[in-house]
Amino acid sequence: MDGSSAPGPVAGDFLTLLKQRRIISDIPHGLTNHSGLTETVATTILGFKFADGVLVAGDRRATAGNVVMYDRADKVLEIDRHSVMAIAGSPATAWEMARILEHSFQFYRRSQLQEMSVEGKVRSLSKLLRDNLGMVMQGLGVVVPLFAIYDKKNPDPAKLFFYDAMGAQFEATDFASSGSGAAAVRSVLYYEQNWGVSPLRERSREDAILLALKALDTAAEADTATGGIDRHGKIFPIIKTVSAAGIATVSDDKLSELFQAHVA
Amino acid sequence: MIDEPYRWVEAISNRREYIENELATGSPTIGLSFSKGILLLTFGRDRRKIFEIYDRIAMGAIGHPGDIERLRMTAIELAGTEGFTRSAADVSLRRMVTYSFSPALKQAFEQIYGAPYLARILFAEVGPSEESDLFVRLDYDGTMHANSMGGGKNRENFGAIAGTRRGLERVESVLSRAKVSNLRSALEAAIRAWGSGFYAAGEDHPDAPEESVVNEFVKSRLEQYSIEAALLERGGTASRVAFVEVPESDLEAALSKFR
Repeated sequence: MDGSSAPGPVAGDFLTLLKQRRIISDIPHGLTNHSGLTETVATTILGFKFADGVLVAGDRRATAGNVVMYDRADKVLEIDRHSVMAIAGSPATAWEMARILEHSFQFYRRSQLQEMSVEGKVRSLSKLLRDNLGMVMQGLGVVVPLFAIYDKKNPDPAKLFFYDAMGAQFEATDFASSGSGAAAVRSVLYYEQNWGVSPLRERSREDAILLALKALDTAAEADTATGGIDRHGKIFPIIKTVSAAGIATVSDDKLSELFQAHVA
Repeated sequence: MIDEPYRWVEAISNRREYIENELATGSPTIGLSFSKGILLLTFGRDRRKIFEIYDRIAMGAIGHPGDIERLRMTAIELAGTEGFTRSAADVSLRRMVTYSFSPALKQAFEQIYGAPYLARILFAEVGPSEESDLFVRLDYDGTMHANSMGGGKNRENFGAIAGTRRGLERVESVLSRAKVSNLRSALEAAIRAWGSGFYAAGEDHPDAPEESVVNEFVKSRLEQYSIEAALLERGGTASRVAFVEVPESDLEAALSKFR
């Protein structure tokens, strides 16, 4: 019973609580990766703004060197009712970060009796990435995420952020991508934004989903680490949209239908 | 002083009397389980008294705001760290109250050179069905009462706390007779239970009040007190977080009967 214990440097900070109780430990410094361990990494993710809000998508492949570790990885993670994090890099670290974030936002809301601000949430992820710097310097556990949030109170409610591995946060105006297939995805989105039928922000949900499928398929064409769309195993990317109504996941049936009709 | 057993017993008994006096004016908090989930309701004057603890757990309290705050933070921290290290499914109200809260409250109460917790808490945990909803009343001395402790015991579909024993009996008697089918009827039953309990506790009213007296009493209290209600929704929602505040419009509709 130490609910009375003096609040940490920042009231309502779940991370401080975890560290105080030694539930998560600080990352050891000074180690180098001589173990010959081939790290599992997850690849291509993308996000862009469309008419209703933000769309976030990720392929399903996780690789370790040239081995496909897992072809059904979920890289697009719901953090709370209006925010989504997508991960590229080490799933071991990224899934843990997502869990910490989810618990941090809820812990803050419950203990402080108010919702954390959008800026606060975006900073929280930045802080986790910075805390991970020791690992990054050792060449392991690198995570380069995207973070999408819908802020009802803001006149410009759809927000999309991307980060570098050290925790710098950048707000994307229209689109962002990360992971090994990012360059291809970025080219597709840039082209569509400037010379496509209409700017991304004016596209309907269905058009946005279709574009995400095409962009991931393009990435998979040249990058073996990107799973793309598995026509035989019926493995489709994970696509989520964040809008005023909350988060919606596009069903595999819907993806299959769109894919058959417009992409295949 | 504590060298002498008699003095210790006397000190504890004084302490109990003091705390009971302090709690006596507390406004009851009602927990009522029905098909949609658990409704928690109270009326307060100046501060919030119903709080979200974890995904499926909430609490209401009577007592000193400082003590309530300490207990509330402890509950949030315990549940949060358990949910993080294991999983949300491993967070259990029964475990939390039995193994963490009850012993700590008893110890604080009986250490007569330290300050006891001036608080009485109602915890509620929503389950997959009405039969699995759990209410636990936890007192300043660590004693607890649950609506069911498993086994064959008759279950109650409610839990409540009140300032006095008689107040609690009144609340429970109303709730045990209530027929609840939806949020509206749950709100009305809870408001009536609150009125009966607070009426019995506040003044010298040994007998159960007539319904019209309760209605009149609630009406008169509405000038100083405002209603506060939350729902722990059962399943169904996209998120696993069950706690939602009851919309203002629903509260007004339920109160219109008493205005």
